[in-house]
Amino acid sequence: MLSNIQKKLDHIDEIPTLPTVAIEIISLAQSANVQMNKLSEVIHRDPPLAAKVLRAANSAYYRRSDVEVETIQRAILMLGLNEIVNLTSSISVFSAFPTAGQDAQSLRYAFWNHCVATGIIAKYMAKKFDLPTSGQEFVGGLLHDIGKIVLDEFFHEDFVQAHDFAVERGLDLIVAEREILGTDHAEVGAILADRWRLPSYLKDVIAFHHVPAQATAKEVTAVVSIANQLAKSLELSCGGGTMGFVLSELEGWQLLKQLGHPMDDIDIERLTFELGDMRQEVASYISSFGAGGG
Amino acid sequence: MNQESFRLLRDFIYDKSGIFFADNKQAQLETRLAQRLKVNNLSDFDAYYDLLKYDDPASDELHSLFDSVSTNETSFFRSPPQVEAFQKKVLPDMLAAHSAAKKLRLWSAGCSTGEEPYTLAIIINEMLGAAASEWDIRILGSDLSPKALRSAEQAVYNDYALRGVSAEIRERYFEPQGAAYRLIEAARKLVDLEHFNLSQTETLEVGEGFDVIFCRNVLIYFDDELKRRVVSKLYDSLKVGGYLFIGHSESLHNISRAFKLVHFPGALGYRKE
Repeated sequence: MLSNIQKKLDHIDEIPTLPTVAIEIISLAQSANVQMNKLSEVIHRDPPLAAKVLRAANSAYYRRSDVEVETIQRAILMLGLNEIVNLTSSISVFSAFPTAGQDAQSLRYAFWNHCVATGIIAKYMAKKFDLPTSGQEFVGGLLHDIGKIVLDEFFHEDFVQAHDFAVERGLDLIVAEREILGTDHAEVGAILADRWRLPSYLKDVIAFHHVPAQATAKEVTAVVSIANQLAKSLELSCGGGTMGFVLSELEGWQLLKQLGHPMDDIDIERLTFELGDMRQEVASYISSFGAGGG
Repeated sequence: MNQESFRLLRDFIYDKSGIFFADNKQAQLETRLAQRLKVNNLSDFDAYYDLLKYDDPASDELHSLFDSVSTNETSFFRSPPQVEAFQKKVLPDMLAAHSAAKKLRLWSAGCSTGEEPYTLAIIINEMLGAAASEWDIRILGSDLSPKALRSAEQAVYNDYALRGVSAEIRERYFEPQGAAYRLIEAARKLVDLEHFNLSQTETLEVGEGFDVIFCRNVLIYFDDELKRRVVSKLYDSLKVGGYLFIGHSESLHNISRAFKLVHFPGALGYRKE
């Protein structure tokens, strides 16, 4: 079935694509010495993107002082490289796959809320646990479920059927997808990652966020896999019925432990409470650059 | 309250009570503590922190603080995510697991005026429907206060206590009594009310074999040593596979590692393995 889907994808011309500028920025962030000038130049090449970056830099979410941020250079200095990459990625995916015009109950709307929540939680955890994932976690979280976009656009009926099947049987969506479609969003997402020429860590996150031990970029994939579960438990799930799980028994958690991170010392209750009300956090993040709505 | 004072107080409260105020709950904490500042005639939150830390040998102020920070009111279907975790996951699993024995034992420890045990009774009744009569179901509601228990016995509630109850449930489970409402016999009869002090762990005899225990906003008043003893008592009272639910932002992190911590949507539960 996957080869069928692969073939079908090969013949679909209008496969959604991330704006090249987003891919360029994500790749740029991978290089050892990122130059501010280069980054600023790339952002300037896309005026609507530049305008949204400035808007975000001056939003309640990011604003740190009374001084208005008027230039991209200033915004980069204020937010830092990682946050600019996070922000531009978010702006790009929201403009490529808009939620505007969709009602707040729609799958698409829930989908991006879940992805942003996963990104925010992954970023928070990486900082909290001092993981050497160099700021990749947010974009990893943002894009981990990207395969679902393709399934939703091009295999819509089957995908909706898989979604309903998962809810009805209390299954994880990925299990239902395999049952109904013969493939799943991780596999399809990996094909998309190749097409978009995303960095290898992102392909790993997309392909292995349900089985992080199989990834090469283990730490970032593990963190995103945990954040994915936590986002669901903070009531931002996107399909499927994960009703109750033991965090310390998740494959990602165990993997981080094996990699030598002191996971047993973590106050899990406190971590959960610190993440607080993710819906509020996600809404305020999304509105910082003027997307969202419903 | 500046961020620094917030963090100091937040961490102090978490350490002493296990209740956590997330960053986005700063305004809420501020509102709740404003009254304590006034009572103590203090001008700012730093002075209040100093009072708690250095000038409260008998923990009097600490207990008043706990009263202020815990959601001390009770109502039906309070803290929906926990109630939903019970309703949608824990209870269905237990009913399936006990479908042969058809026996269910719940305990609402610190039940105050009865809203919690009666909420559980309504949920179970709703889920089992006509089959409820085939089941042996007992819900124990216990509290320290005889006055609260007498009120629970009456099972008469005003609109405010019923604000979380849907019109449909209100219609089927409550009968008007003057300006208030009385819970119907079918739900009342599932609940046994008993007076006892949870903190007297030596003499506490509640038996064992509970499937689920709710003990919300009770442990916060105990020091760590007493918390450990009470929690260990609760643990012993649970069946293997049974759940303990504590208050919505309460933590057992430094108290017990005996349970498996389970994440439900918007709520945490402690499972006995």
